[in-house]
Amino acid sequence: MKQKKKSWRSTLLVVFLTILAVFFLAPVFLVLMNSFKGQFYISDAPFALPDANTFVGLKNYWNGIQKVGFFSAFGYSLFITVCSVAAIVLFCAMTAWYLVRVKTRMANGLYYLFVFSMVVPFQMVMFTMSKIANLLRLDHPVGIILLYLGFGSGLSVFLYSGFIKGIPLDVEEAATIDGCRPLQTFFLVVFPILKPTAITVAILNAMWIWNDYLLPYLVIGNRYRTIPIAVQYLQGGYGSRDMGALMATLILAIIPIVVFYLACQKYIIKGVMAGAVKG
Amino acid sequence: MQKSYRKYAVFFILPTFIAFIIAFLVPFLFGIYLSFTKFTTVTNTQWVGWDNYVRAFTANRDFTHALGVTAAFTVVSVISVNLLAFGLALLLTRGIRGTNLFRTVFFMPNLIGGIVLGYIWQLMINGLLLRAGVDITYDPKYGFWGLVVLMNWQMIGYMMIIYIAGLQNLPGDVLEAAEIDGASPWQKLRHVTIPMVMPSITICTFLTLTNSFKLFDQNFALTAGAPMKKTAMLALDIYNTFYGRVGDEGVGQAKAVVFFLMVAAIAFVQLWTTRSREVEQ
Amino acid sequence: MKKRIVPLLAFCLALTLAGCGGSGGSSGASAGSAVAGKKEGSIYYLNFKPEVADVYQKVAAAYTEATGVELRVVTAASGTYEQTLKSEMAKSDAPTLFQINGPLGYLNWQDYCADLSDTQLYQHLNDPSLAVTSKDGVYGIPYVVEGYGILYNEAILRKYFAMTGAKAASVDEINNFEKLQEVVEDMTAKKEQLGIDGVFASTSLKPGEDWRWQTHLANIPLSYEWSRSNVDLTGDATREIAFFYSENYKKIFDLYLNNSTVDRKLLGTRQVMDSMAEFALGRCAMVQNGNWAWNDIKGVDGNTVGEEDVKFLPVYTGMDGEENQGLCIGTENFFCINAKASENDQKLAADFIYWLFSSDTGKKLVKEDLGFIAPFDTFSADEYPEDPLAREVADWMNKEGIQNIPWNFTLFPGQTFKDHFGGALLQYAQGNMEWADVVTQVVDDWKTESANRTV
Repeated sequence: MKQKKKSWRSTLLVVFLTILAVFFLAPVFLVLMNSFKGQFYISDAPFALPDANTFVGLKNYWNGIQKVGFFSAFGYSLFITVCSVAAIVLFCAMTAWYLVRVKTRMANGLYYLFVFSMVVPFQMVMFTMSKIANLLRLDHPVGIILLYLGFGSGLSVFLYSGFIKGIPLDVEEAATIDGCRPLQTFFLVVFPILKPTAITVAILNAMWIWNDYLLPYLVIGNRYRTIPIAVQYLQGGYGSRDMGALMATLILAIIPIVVFYLACQKYIIKGVMAGAVKG
Repeated sequence: MQKSYRKYAVFFILPTFIAFIIAFLVPFLFGIYLSFTKFTTVTNTQWVGWDNYVRAFTANRDFTHALGVTAAFTVVSVISVNLLAFGLALLLTRGIRGTNLFRTVFFMPNLIGGIVLGYIWQLMINGLLLRAGVDITYDPKYGFWGLVVLMNWQMIGYMMIIYIAGLQNLPGDVLEAAEIDGASPWQKLRHVTIPMVMPSITICTFLTLTNSFKLFDQNFALTAGAPMKKTAMLALDIYNTFYGRVGDEGVGQAKAVVFFLMVAAIAFVQLWTTRSREVEQ
Repeated sequence: MKKRIVPLLAFCLALTLAGCGGSGGSSGASAGSAVAGKKEGSIYYLNFKPEVADVYQKVAAAYTEATGVELRVVTAASGTYEQTLKSEMAKSDAPTLFQINGPLGYLNWQDYCADLSDTQLYQHLNDPSLAVTSKDGVYGIPYVVEGYGILYNEAILRKYFAMTGAKAASVDEINNFEKLQEVVEDMTAKKEQLGIDGVFASTSLKPGEDWRWQTHLANIPLSYEWSRSNVDLTGDATREIAFFYSENYKKIFDLYLNNSTVDRKLLGTRQVMDSMAEFALGRCAMVQNGNWAWNDIKGVDGNTVGEEDVKFLPVYTGMDGEENQGLCIGTENFFCINAKASENDQKLAADFIYWLFSSDTGKKLVKEDLGFIAPFDTFSADEYPEDPLAREVADWMNKEGIQNIPWNFTLFPGQTFKDHFGGALLQYAQGNMEWADVVTQVVDDWKTESANRTV
């Protein structure tokens, strides 16, 4: 009897959660549906299904891709994200390890400086940073990697340091006795141990950099468009603004995220959990 | 050992540190300096003392109004996101069918960027309001609650994951013991579960707190402050001041410094709470 | 899991390399030209007109093909030109060619405006008095004459005039506000028979999309205010306004709002492009805009409005003697060359603008793609753009006994004023603000923002 009641309850729960899940996905499906409608049928009747009159096939996608240069935007976003994340994962690990192991007053001060930078909101430095980036000629997709490394280093150094503090010194000492130089010790012994944290750092930074709008807009926005800039471009009062193309571009912007998420779901969820617990 | 490492400082620290100086340290210090000057480009600054700070609060009510909106938004979001996320986490740790699928779905919006989210919800909200014959700019309330819904949609999955991690770490025997003692589900929740996932609650509260307080992209894309800046939050107001009228850059920078101090204060409270909690344990 | 992540990472890396190749190629090209720039230089034009943003990419390609000189055109989003110009000018790679909106704009940018009196383009200006001058120098060359008014679809009006009980028999009878109102309101009553959703296209009041009202429409009552009290427009008198004819503004604005395709509460998300599409698709009969809108109308898929049916009507506001009023014709587009750019780059910029308005390829682009009515003698009278709106403007310019209204909104005190005005208009349209408060706000804001005027 009790069994029966329980299964009845859990069915109800599944139904409830399914409804909730549908609600969660509804906005995305709404955009998807509208991306197949003519641009002037969207604002007036967003909930109407496409019909013979309003269906335009893939035209919006074609328009969106052309108007904002979607593929080049995708290329810039991917290039900037992958390179910045790689730089952060590697260089911040090195810095964190050094700062933890060399306990001078300088190293300690530096560590706190990194931690301090975590609480500074971007608005505080947006103007000066974009000016300096321009002055130093860092206003291109390669230069911006340096900015991401610098602005992202606070959280990453902090996360790595937390992990490194927990690694016993024995292994490294053994390596040193075996004749390893610090560089070898780091790359052959320490870095492999850091892998779980490296994944966390990579995931958190990738989520931030891929979706970041203001920094790339201010630094390279007039010459190079990343995906968020491309989406905003369609809305920003240009003659080429087109509701249908906007819908299509939104869907195109979501697709890579969904693919990446479904492929690396476990890593992402683990990474987020670990990052939160330490942060 | 330490000494042998020292000469490698250049190699280990320099790449990060140079980037850190360029992207953070110099802009930060220079930003503080600029908040006391009148400037249009960084090369022609003119010292004006506290004038920018005074003007930030007195020239118009934008900043104080944005502060009010931000505070209200933060309070509402923190409460709603955490309640809903905790509820979902409870439901999804009961081992029912499809748990993994549900987790996947609920977490996904978190990965979508703020600009894209803003436009997705603009379509949704305007579509719903169309039935009432108005749009999101009709009343600042619509924009405000629209942002709250958006924030919930984005953050619930994230917080849910953290709560699930906390709930899974609960020792099963304690709950069993409570059940044997005849505790009702509600009593179990209040006296066993909640106290034991307190660390997760603290983490989630602060994550939602800082994220809500610093919100920019979503605000920018969903309402851009309309109508008449009444739905502009602090980050957006600072951006508008900076890149609005020629001559107001110093005021924008001063607002940014005030904003930074507020965020730092929140972080300090967080640190302090975490510390004292650890001491208790 | 590991098995899955390796190919994925490999895929990402491959894509990155591909992207890198692409982006590396283009950044390599620009880096290469920056180095080579010492020798040959390049042009960077910051364009003001978003409706021709796409066309300028075509112009740039054509120019590079013709001369081998690199031309980069960046367009500022509508309502953000001043702010974009400000931030771009502060950069090391500043625009070499930009524009100001008239004498007031010149005061803001005089340090950056090179003397253009020796340029070839200036020698060809039809009326040298139109240029922005100061002392002995010429600092801005107008490159396009534009006009705006109420666009109407004559096919729909013909249908209306043929109905029994129509309030007028032809467009010629509509030469003042009373008549316009009478016709419009009667058309609204008969909109089902006419097959339209409303007489006027939606009054776009989304922030950044409200310039047709806070700038263009406002120009009319303020121009009357200044001309009827003989205000010296070059002096300090324009630092304050009375908004004396605000009731006239309200009259026409209400007419737009109440006889529109879209309910007045739904205007805060409407954009100019929406209005133009409604007009192009024949869902409305009239829309206030200028001849530059032809590109928009033409570009709408499935547009039903015939080329020969698009005409202009002046914007009547109920002023005495407005029977002789014409369109608002003028310019807010003056080419300037950055005085702080290298001599060579300045020369390249001057060469480009001369090429655009004198070479066959350039003139063809101006006429057919940009749709500019160019004020240069390199264009003969039959070389006006072929589009119907430009021809209409040209006709109105030459009409006997008609007084066109100049573009005095170049004297408006900056974007902040306009944005506030637009915000107030939206609130008024939604019924959340009294008209009297809108007027007070406009008058007060004008004074405050004029105090920020640099000179």
